[in-house]
Amino acid sequence: MARASTTLRHMILVAVALLALFPLALLLLNSVKTELEFSKSPLGLPSTFTWHNFSEAFDYVIRPIFNSVVIVTASVLGIVSIAAMSAYAFTFIRFPLRRFLFVMVFVLLLIPAVLTLIPLYLQIKRLDFFGISDSWGGLILPYIAGGQAFSIFVLRTFFGSIPQDLVDAARVDGASEWHILGKIVVPLSIPVLVSVLVINVVPIWNDYLLPSLLLSEKYRTLPIALVSLQGNAQTHSSSQFGILMAAYVIACIPLAILFTFLMRYYVQGLTSGALKL
Amino acid sequence: MASRGMITARSEAAGTVSSRRRDRWNRYLAAYLMVLPTFAFIGYFLYYPAYRALTGGFTHWDGFNDPVWAGLDNFRRAADDIIFHTAIKNNLIWAAIEIVLMVIPAFIIAALIFHVANDRARYIYRSVFVIPIIIPTIVTILLWRYFYEGDGLINVILQRLGLDALTRFWIGDPDIALYALALMGFPWVNAFNMLIFYAGLQNIPSEVMEAAELDGATGLRRLFTIEIPMVASQFKLLLILAIINSGQNIVTPLVMTRGGPGYATYTVSYYMYESAVDYGEFGYSMAIALMLFVVLIGLTALSQLINRD
Repeated sequence: MARASTTLRHMILVAVALLALFPLALLLLNSVKTELEFSKSPLGLPSTFTWHNFSEAFDYVIRPIFNSVVIVTASVLGIVSIAAMSAYAFTFIRFPLRRFLFVMVFVLLLIPAVLTLIPLYLQIKRLDFFGISDSWGGLILPYIAGGQAFSIFVLRTFFGSIPQDLVDAARVDGASEWHILGKIVVPLSIPVLVSVLVINVVPIWNDYLLPSLLLSEKYRTLPIALVSLQGNAQTHSSSQFGILMAAYVIACIPLAILFTFLMRYYVQGLTSGALKL
Repeated sequence: MASRGMITARSEAAGTVSSRRRDRWNRYLAAYLMVLPTFAFIGYFLYYPAYRALTGGFTHWDGFNDPVWAGLDNFRRAADDIIFHTAIKNNLIWAAIEIVLMVIPAFIIAALIFHVANDRARYIYRSVFVIPIIIPTIVTILLWRYFYEGDGLINVILQRLGLDALTRFWIGDPDIALYALALMGFPWVNAFNMLIFYAGLQNIPSEVMEAAELDGATGLRRLFTIEIPMVASQFKLLLILAIINSGQNIVTPLVMTRGGPGYATYTVSYYMYESAVDYGEFGYSMAIALMLFVVLIGLTALSQLINRD
């Protein structure tokens, strides 16, 4: 009885896992097929390897990938440094208005991003003055703002598990708050800081709306480039599915690399139990 | 001698009081400096835009010239706007489907993995379900657009199975398109939600699980009597996030159908987006956003009240 249910459990898990991985397999298989082979058997194994698809797709997506990587990297580094300072103050320092200010941050989790999308766009446009609205900075700065609530929430929970005595002892020894943050709390929190970093990468990497409103061709990010590539492929009389699929495969590579090395932090960050109500 | 001693003692005492006070003010100053960058960012990029959104609905505003006060004009217009009504109906259907799909499959998979006996196998299963996260969201949308096309994958599969009668242009049929968009992403195991549920299951005290086993509560009975109640706080969080998410479906209709065929896949937020971006009616757009916001907050509060007991 117990054995049968164990077998059943594994069968269900494997079946659902295969279904979940199916799109990835489909992309890989079709990225090396010729146009003709794709239209004849989109589900079959490739009989030819058309690497030409990849070289063409690569030229098209490399600049957008570079833009996306720059924007994501700067944004998540900015998010974590600023959020760590706030989380430290909220956790370890009792100061007037502390609770009020924390609630002000927490409430942001409840404001849907679509509500502010249009005014945010106008607000970024006002920064034209500094010449950044159509460049990397026009996205990096709002993304840093957008990542604050979630990151402070998670970091504060983790900081709360650091013994207050440790901080008090350092104070008695005359250490400044900045010193305690930099020399004690941050070194103890490297894993959770990396987790917060990785968790923030995903929504920024995937964002489509804000860059589509703001950026010109030179600075456009990967999601924008992929949509316009699909549009081009459809307007051409011969559709170019192989190249599209190759572009999609290349688009998966940056996060594939990131998760090869840091998946552990993503999983640990979300399974640490910090996230509940 | 004695008096000198007294003076020193007194000034020392005064010194500690004032230095303690100075320490405290230094600490306050450090705290405010530490939270300052966060508030500068969220003030400029989130709070001010939210304020503009909440007040903009009461104005006629083209986004460039100064807004002109309009009272309730935009809301009256919305009350008679058939497209807006269609968008609400579509959005309710989509939200009901989406909230279920965001939460239930993720929970079932988390519970199944949690009871796998072998540590290593558990870790591998968890990782396998996280892998699809490397596919950019936009690629998933574009891929499903291809699945749903006339000569797309779903029809190819149906033809192979000899079910030609069932083939159709899934996102071109006004009766089906909305469901096609809402059901995109099969088998719907959201990695983020799955991991949060898994964390909740992990935090169930082992004594509780053992006691359940002694009482012979396994399988479905254990699921309903122990596991679901014990991860209630995760359910609450993910329910809130799912509700808020269900009001934000812009990109899928934008990229897949442009709201069509006709108005079949208009959502409230897509209509808000279109009013501002394509027609420059920022005032009307903000009025829609404001109503959406109020509904989402109301639903969130309601879900918490129902969950309370």
